[in-house]
Amino acid sequence: MENSIFVRNRSVPIFIGVLTLLAIAVTVLSEGYGTGALSVSFTKVLGMTLCLCLAALAMDLVWGYCGILSLGHFAFFGLGGYMIGMWLMTARTEQVVRANLQNAVIPPTEAEISAATASQIFSVVGATDWPWMWAASDSLILSLLLVVLVPGLLALVFGWLAFRSRVTGVYLSILTQAMTLALSLYLFQNDTGLRGNNGLSGLQNIPGLETVGQDRISIWFFWGSALALGLAYIGAAWMVSGKFGSIVRGIRDDEQRVRFLGYRVEVYKLFIFTFTGMLCGIAGALYYPQAGIINPDEIAPIASIYLAVWVAIGGRGRLYGAVIGAAVVSLLSTYFTGGRAPNLNLGLFTIDWVDWWPVLLGLGFVLVTLFAPKGLGGLVDVIVRKDRR
Amino acid sequence: MKKILLASALSLVTAHAASAEIRVGILHSLTGTMAISETTLRDVMLMLIEQQNAAGGLLGQQIVPVVVDPASDWPLFAERARELLTVNEVDVIFGAWTSVSRKSVLPVLEELNGLMFYPVQYEGEESSRNVFYTGAAPNQQAIPAVDYYLNELGVEVFALLGTDYVYPRTTNRILEQYLLDAGIPQENIFVNYTPFGQSDWSSIVADVVALGAGGQQVGVISTINGDANVGFYAELAAQGVSADDIPVVAFSVGEEELAGFDTAPLAGHLAAWNYFMSADTPENEAFITAWHEFIGDTNRPTNDPMEAHYIGFNMWVQAVEAAGTTDVDAVRAAMYGIEVPNLTGGTAVMLPNHHLTKPVLIGEIRADGQFDIISQTEPVAGDAWTDFLPESAVLESDWPGLGCGMYNTVTQTCVQIESNY
Amino acid sequence: MLGLLLLIAPASRTQAQDTAAGPLQTLLQAQADLVANASRGTVQQVLDALIASDLDGVPTLLTRWQARALYQRSSDGLFVYVETEGANPLTLIDIDTGAEVGTASSREVAQLRPNRGVQTVIASALVEFQLSSEDPADRLAALAAISRAPEDFHLPILQDLMATETDDDVLEVAEVLLPRLIIAFDRDDADRVAAIESLAGNVSIAARAALNPLLVTTTEVAASLPDGANIARVLEPGAGLSREAAYAMLVAAELAPPLIPRAQIRETLAAQVVDGRVGGLPVAQLNTEDARDRAYAALVAEGLAPPAPTDAEIDAAVSSHVFYEVYREPSQAVTTAARATLDGIETRVGLFRVLDLSLDGLSLASIYFLAAIGLAITFGVMGVINMAHGEFIMIGAYTGYVVQTLVPDYTLSIAIAIPLAFMVTFAGGVAMERLVIRWLYHRPLETLLATFGISIALQQIVRQIFGTQARPLTPPEWLAGSVSLNDVVSISSIRIAIFLLGVVFFVALWLTLNRTRLGLEVRAVTQNPRMAASMGINPDRINMLTFGLGSGIAGIAGVAIGLFAQVVPDLGSNYIVQSFMTVVVGGVGNIFGTLIGAGMIGGLQKYIEWLNPTNTLAAQTYMILFVILFIQFRPRGIIALRGRAAGD
Repeated sequence: MENSIFVRNRSVPIFIGVLTLLAIAVTVLSEGYGTGALSVSFTKVLGMTLCLCLAALAMDLVWGYCGILSLGHFAFFGLGGYMIGMWLMTARTEQVVRANLQNAVIPPTEAEISAATASQIFSVVGATDWPWMWAASDSLILSLLLVVLVPGLLALVFGWLAFRSRVTGVYLSILTQAMTLALSLYLFQNDTGLRGNNGLSGLQNIPGLETVGQDRISIWFFWGSALALGLAYIGAAWMVSGKFGSIVRGIRDDEQRVRFLGYRVEVYKLFIFTFTGMLCGIAGALYYPQAGIINPDEIAPIASIYLAVWVAIGGRGRLYGAVIGAAVVSLLSTYFTGGRAPNLNLGLFTIDWVDWWPVLLGLGFVLVTLFAPKGLGGLVDVIVRKDRR
Repeated sequence: MKKILLASALSLVTAHAASAEIRVGILHSLTGTMAISETTLRDVMLMLIEQQNAAGGLLGQQIVPVVVDPASDWPLFAERARELLTVNEVDVIFGAWTSVSRKSVLPVLEELNGLMFYPVQYEGEESSRNVFYTGAAPNQQAIPAVDYYLNELGVEVFALLGTDYVYPRTTNRILEQYLLDAGIPQENIFVNYTPFGQSDWSSIVADVVALGAGGQQVGVISTINGDANVGFYAELAAQGVSADDIPVVAFSVGEEELAGFDTAPLAGHLAAWNYFMSADTPENEAFITAWHEFIGDTNRPTNDPMEAHYIGFNMWVQAVEAAGTTDVDAVRAAMYGIEVPNLTGGTAVMLPNHHLTKPVLIGEIRADGQFDIISQTEPVAGDAWTDFLPESAVLESDWPGLGCGMYNTVTQTCVQIESNY
Repeated sequence: MLGLLLLIAPASRTQAQDTAAGPLQTLLQAQADLVANASRGTVQQVLDALIASDLDGVPTLLTRWQARALYQRSSDGLFVYVETEGANPLTLIDIDTGAEVGTASSREVAQLRPNRGVQTVIASALVEFQLSSEDPADRLAALAAISRAPEDFHLPILQDLMATETDDDVLEVAEVLLPRLIIAFDRDDADRVAAIESLAGNVSIAARAALNPLLVTTTEVAASLPDGANIARVLEPGAGLSREAAYAMLVAAELAPPLIPRAQIRETLAAQVVDGRVGGLPVAQLNTEDARDRAYAALVAEGLAPPAPTDAEIDAAVSSHVFYEVYREPSQAVTTAARATLDGIETRVGLFRVLDLSLDGLSLASIYFLAAIGLAITFGVMGVINMAHGEFIMIGAYTGYVVQTLVPDYTLSIAIAIPLAFMVTFAGGVAMERLVIRWLYHRPLETLLATFGISIALQQIVRQIFGTQARPLTPPEWLAGSVSLNDVVSISSIRIAIFLLGVVFFVALWLTLNRTRLGLEVRAVTQNPRMAASMGINPDRINMLTFGLGSGIAGIAGVAIGLFAQVVPDLGSNYIVQSFMTVVVGGVGNIFGTLIGAGMIGGLQKYIEWLNPTNTLAAQTYMILFVILFIQFRPRGIIALRGRAAGD
């Protein structure tokens, strides 16, 4: 089966090859295992970019293949981050607390350790008790499960409600947007248990790996992100190449017709929606330990719109398009807002990239939508066609 | 082969460090929601560096500012801080505004042993080895303001209004406990949190006015942040709430926030800071003149965080000169006890807990958008861990003495060397 | 600097007296420190001395001191008047003779700035002088001072005034004030009850502020109910008062031994460790609560620790005492009357609150309506998702700001800004439609992306031009205040104006769409563009005009929103999601729907806020959740179009 994918979809072997080469190159150039030409911060940027590519891949499945323009998929991404973040914070803080309480005259009870951990974590929001949603935070296994289950469950419930009542097209987009807005406002509240506007921070310090430097950890996460992206790519390619893929594309092109053919359109849409929600959750869980902090701002509606824009720029309906779009736009953004791009002197007027980059980006969206509806991925078509001639 | 690669890579990295210059990283948002406040701080840092260079630089070298834009995006603060420390190899960072951004940068600073000066009034409950806090801790702003309410205005009913994030939350928690200790009953403390950028204030102001029905003097303590103040004060003015009826003391409203909007209806409302532009001292006059000259606009106000950067930068310069190097550990050791004149008179001293001594000023808003300073205390020592919350009262920070920023005086142990993030 | 003054002041006192100081100066110098650093708690002393002196200059001195025209010279501590603040140099005037005594720069003198608390005390001292003044304005000021800080000696003064007062305005204020003073300070209970009853149905804050203090209670505990106390109610442990709270009261009153909390057990154990053992257990085993309890019990048995009260002891202690609330006011007749009057008032206040809440909801709804109505046209009528709609609102607001910087008269500038904002955003909308949107009519989801790009570009361009600072858009004087029915129901004028603007928009749009040729054509194109084209309508032109109209309305909405909120580059993005929800909830393609949608969202948000007044964020969250659920049940909104126009 695997083989057939590699044969049927030529982009899969190419993509996996490129990804592997990238991973090797980064490892060789990294500070952790190689020459040190790539700084730790840039390794982290690359790792995080791969996670964003994974989210974009999910977005492409749901929008490019199934035609559901979800403007809320970053909510699932953020939830994944929150789920792993809870474990990271709990485990790290508990270690600190344990080490400190061991010195006390009377040895601490488990309840005292738990209470002290909670008060360390929640003192910033003025609480001292564990909120209910932290119940699984002391177990890595459970937290990893929740990374997939919680975004999946939210996607399932939301999708079931929406698809059942045949909310489609623009309405669905606005509804998903409302969903991510509601979630971010909910998390912004200090009382809801996830530390409000502070979010979860210090996530780059992995409990149990205190002795390992960030130079190594950044590479491990880079590998992890690359592996996740590679697997997801193969899985997605397999999914869209078979009969399932044809039906899903059919739904995109004419939902009514597919329904009249006797397929239960809602089930297919719900499956794709939930599956991509889970993918985003995994991407988020890999992203935030590299970023170091997650906060409700991350899932503000604009983040999800950006996700859609990356896919549009890269080219919808082709898996590598999404990856290219996400990688190109986010890396360019990093470059131009990092203060290292030289100012452009136009004689009368100096363009400071930090200030003008958003303008350029916005106009870029417009131009791509107008003149290159197939996105950057469309370039591949041109090249391939030349090949065949 | 590997050796050559390594060497060339090393030379790439060390190329910067070899040149005779000192690098100062400026980590303030220039785009996004926080740009409104932080851009000014970037400018003031550029001015201070320019002045220092004109005066011969530092240790005989020129200071080069490295400006980056974390774009009001909290994870980006950590990323940019790492870049500043490892790629640009800066000797010190001046930056951050919101508490979230500071908490985002902290782990990176502590991992890489960087040094940062944080210029904004904040909620306290923190003392990192790698951060010097040049803004006010709660006992240098909030507590004196509440004392003023209790003693001078005779306020008995308190409305604590704040934007929903950590600074107002923690400050209000401390104040609530402080008020309870002062004998104000729980039912006389009304607390409300609103989102960033709140514009619909009519019902909240009406709620506050209704508190007067108990027949006691009502006072508002506002930790409302940024833009939301515009709507809040407009609504106060519209409902005719004068400072005589219900005074409002704000901890986040300064000259910059009041700039340009009609303050006549707000005259008499209060703000508590460690600096006001209207302070009548020669140092302040020189600072304002230099600022106006640098920015090329005589209407631009100066404010409290700008003074904090002024003090912080001058302290750092003195510490570097005393240590004879920009090495972080040497500079930190030289920082303690360093004195720099405040712009409002008196001197700021760097304490072992990485906070400053600062006078607390209470100002009344004037019709021209400036403040009348009506009360100025002797310099107050900043307290990293508040004395008014039972779990914090036992904590102490003393880096040179105890080597710990979170020392439990009851169990006599260091709770942790790194900070809570 | 003040510290410096303190040092100088005592030394210079004699010097000031040597130079033949006037009597006022001498009086002030005698307490120079209290004058210079006046505090509410200590200033009374100075005032008493001044008033007792009965000097002619005292009222002037107090008035000027209160108005911050009193200065102190740093060199010798001399108190002087300064008439023109901010002059350089300042002209110093003697406080006794009124003669000029010299000049000084602002750093050579200290302006004495009595704070509001001190000002109130001074105003209170001025009351007697002001009440005997010829000028009714002075008498009104005196009454205002009494109202702010009533004292018992004010009551006879006020009664004297009312016997002789001729000015109607003063009399009116005094009549309102009198019952409050009687209630607070009169000694005769019958008079007080009469005064209380005269306030029946009065919902003003002042009336409630007079009554509420009478009903303040304290909770007390005793072995039996005391005689003669004005008891409000008896509390039953377990019902009105929890058992723990009751026992805590007993402990506080030292009528029962305290409970031993967990932390205290640990500390007691830690203090009693001998050779690694305490209470017969090795320390290492004390990591469970159970083990600690056993060790503690062992300590108690040895008499090394106080015993914790048992449950039975707690029950016995609680049941052998009475817990009750007692009024601070001793007279039962007064409290009964106050209770009855206040109950009546509070019912009325409740009703008025509902009215006020409805007005707030209506106001919020009209803001949402204004923000969304342009969108209802472009999105609802044309099916175009314009993510840059918010930026048109923002551009409208900035247009208003620019006009205000050019035209200083606020009324005129608003009158210019509204049509100008319409024109600017209309032009912007038409340009956008021509350049971008019209190529994407068959790809509605992609207009979303293209317009999103325009949105972030516009935001950043505006940020480049105007900076990140919030810009003021000041309403004209006549819109600055508020209209209030009483102390409960009031709404700011600007909100009324926005509401009226919303109504005007609604009517104008409805008429345009239903009564004009353009409206007919728009509806035709909406329903079936091809058919419309074959009837001689140019759909291109109609689309362009419709889009321009929608954008233009957003511009006007921007001016209105800017007047009550803050003008910042991301002004629009704060409204965009809400606006889309308003349109979707109301039903696309129908301005009635938008009206109802805005009404529902605004009203609902205010209602949820009222349920949980301490957390505005929660209200917004639940409102959005409600919208999401609502759409599940009415996917096409409240007013769903039927037939062909419903599309897909």
